[in-house]
Amino acid sequence: MNATGAASIVGILDRLILVLMLAVFAAVLTAAMVMQYALGEIPCPLCLLQRVAMFGCCFGLIVQLRSDDSERGTGIALIFAVLLLVISVRQTLLDLFPRPGHEYIGSAVLGIHLPVWSVIIAVALLFGFAIRLALFGGTRNGVDTERGPLRSIAHLLGIYVIAICAINFLSVIAQCGLDQCHTSGYRLLQ
Amino acid sequence: MMTAVFASLLLAFILDFAGLRRLAISCLFVSFVLCVGFFLWEVYSPDYGFRMPWLQL
Repeated sequence: MNATGAASIVGILDRLILVLMLAVFAAVLTAAMVMQYALGEIPCPLCLLQRVAMFGCCFGLIVQLRSDDSERGTGIALIFAVLLLVISVRQTLLDLFPRPGHEYIGSAVLGIHLPVWSVIIAVALLFGFAIRLALFGGTRNGVDTERGPLRSIAHLLGIYVIAICAINFLSVIAQCGLDQCHTSGYRLLQ
Repeated sequence: MMTAVFASLLLAFILDFAGLRRLAISCLFVSFVLCVGFFLWEVYSPDYGFRMPWLQL
């Protein structure tokens, strides 16, 4: 195998990791929406901010998937991963040691509460980017992945993420209006 | 304020999809700043500040 072929395989694997990360985030955000609409678990403000951080990670991944000569998307995703970690750790501490009268309400998935899942996801994303950079290094020039199926999958995932972001935006308007967000119900529907 | 956070976030996605990368990242930055500000406002307590004094080791 010559150098060009090896570089192409590395480029494809790199893209595959990014697509998988984006798919995982899309699945997590979809699951959160299913829990909200199907199970009636209205998100608290910190939960909504964690969703914002996850969407920010998705934005970084989408930018990185479209770029061959820059790691800006990686940087954006890492910034939002750190934000997700900070918010979710704070909420996890509130879950473990609640202020009297403010116990955590919400169900668990596989025995783990959702803020803790957010911590796991944030750490996993940080590790994922670290491993990706360690294995594949930085940017590559001239790697032709433009016509591959990964590009189509990434494009469709990007559109899906935008769609669920729009749904979340409308849901926040219904829940909060222009005021504080409460978990007791949807403000505009009351 | 949460509406503003999601509005700027959605606008960032739409602008990026439309090919306006710099404008999209600017909107994303606005969303990030609003998110951080709202988080600090949400966890702040007039009695305890940002601390959690009931958390005893």
